[in-house]
Amino acid sequence: MSDTSDELPEELPQDLPEGASKRLAELEHGLFTSDLSVNEFLLIKEVGFHPVGFVMGSSIYHTGIQTRKWGQSQELTKLTEAMYNARELAMTRMEEEALELGADGVVGVRLDVNYYEWGKDAAEFIAVGTAVKAENGVSHRNKLGKPFTSDLSGQDFWTLMQTGHIPQGLVMGTCVYHIAHRGLGATLGSAGQNVELPNFTQALYEARELAMTRMQDEATELGASGIVGVRLEEKSHQWGSHTIEFLSLGTAVVKTSDDVTLPKPTTIISLDN
Amino acid sequence: MTVPAESSGDLPEAAVRRFAEGAFTSGLTVPDFAACLQMGLEPVGFTQGYCVMQWQWYGMSPMGGGFGYQWGGVRGYSETFNCPHGFVSQEHRSWGQNYEQSWLEDAWTSGFTTAYDRMLDEAEAAGAHGIVGVVDTSAPLADMGVVEFRVQGTAVRVIDGPPPLDGRPWSTYLAGQRLAKLVEAGFAPVSIAATVASVGVWANCVTQYQTEGSASMYRTGNPGEEIIQTVKAQTVARRLATERIRSQLGPDSLHGASLSTTRRELGEGDSAVECILRGNRVRRFKDFDPMPAPRPTVRLL
Repeated sequence: MSDTSDELPEELPQDLPEGASKRLAELEHGLFTSDLSVNEFLLIKEVGFHPVGFVMGSSIYHTGIQTRKWGQSQELTKLTEAMYNARELAMTRMEEEALELGADGVVGVRLDVNYYEWGKDAAEFIAVGTAVKAENGVSHRNKLGKPFTSDLSGQDFWTLMQTGHIPQGLVMGTCVYHIAHRGLGATLGSAGQNVELPNFTQALYEARELAMTRMQDEATELGASGIVGVRLEEKSHQWGSHTIEFLSLGTAVVKTSDDVTLPKPTTIISLDN
Repeated sequence: MTVPAESSGDLPEAAVRRFAEGAFTSGLTVPDFAACLQMGLEPVGFTQGYCVMQWQWYGMSPMGGGFGYQWGGVRGYSETFNCPHGFVSQEHRSWGQNYEQSWLEDAWTSGFTTAYDRMLDEAEAAGAHGIVGVVDTSAPLADMGVVEFRVQGTAVRVIDGPPPLDGRPWSTYLAGQRLAKLVEAGFAPVSIAATVASVGVWANCVTQYQTEGSASMYRTGNPGEEIIQTVKAQTVARRLATERIRSQLGPDSLHGASLSTTRRELGEGDSAVECILRGNRVRRFKDFDPMPAPRPTVRLL
């Protein structure tokens, strides 16, 4: 262990496990690992990038609990912060691994949450992806000087480059929201009618918009011109059906040229089954 | 809820704030995004509309045990199926009925249309010309007898193109190359179209025995017989959905229609058939110009 750590550059982050430093040091000698499929690998090479290593970051976070009012729809800000910080930590650690490899970016990032029996109210947040580096030595790091991250596949990465856009970062926003229970009076009051319940509509609407606004704020910070592939995910995790996390995820991109170099589509007949 | 005066009054504050910011958001996949840029469509923002509706079956639950009261009253199709055995007994349902569940259809239409209109409001507020890649879903919310309708899509602007004639953005379930092919074939998207038809089946004795598969003295004929009452409900639900969408279309055509039918078991042979028909309302804007002959290809996968 001691002999490899001497070789590491000084500015490296200090909170990676020892095992990571050893693994990454090996990778610097030319070997690369990646979870890219063969086609993805070829397409990434085609646009002038080379995979430098499979990187990951993880954080086990105690998300805690927050009291909710039975009959009130409200954001649970403590849980929102916890869910956000935990993912942010995992992502940052993954970025640090990429930084250690001298990578320009990470493609195919996946964010997962795992729960274990041994940790009550604790969850493990994991980010994994393949770090890539430009072959011509030009830096493609984002405005903050960090490797870009993106959940794009190799094919998507290639296609995006042809449209004159470059990924800047996987951006996210989250909002944990408690949906009010309906009181007996309200239930009876509208019994027998199928009508809109504006309070519920508004609560959920607000929660999703908050998540999306937070995601957009991250993109603005990166100086992005847009976000592609936005997904809105909804999960109750372990909080019961009335508490829902709204997670909004997408890849922030910046426009680098007006040229769309995609070939004009031609009609084809596929001879596959 | 405080909303700036110039924006659409129905949008939540957070939506207005979101659109005031700079970067565009798009729910499009990268291939769809690239295809849109290539056709001259520029994404403006991810737009969404929601509506939470109270949702009740009114005594139609398996526990309720069948044909209960309806507050709304039955409207539209209904058909009675009498018992062919000619006697009345305690364990014997001497008559059955198929009936249109108009109160559910109304609730569905109201929920869907409200959510859809809200999505259009968002798109209009963002200065969009149209919405591509629309996805609509509905799901029960937190086990409370309420259903949430969700309509989402990516608002786009036609680069150097005119705004829509009637001011409201157009919409389509299509995105990317599929939309490009449609335009290539000479059709312009007008709007998404969706209708629902719901028919309840209160089984008579014959239907009951046939669906339960019980050996009984009342069973009719051979085991491979058609279950007429259920078949009738399925046929009528599909027909109603089709007729309804046709009445919405006017002079336009429906492209890429998909009919999805779900059958809910309500016990003892009773069931409800729900049929949702979705498609893209399209209008011809130029004559068909034959595309170049396709090239055969094999994928190396």
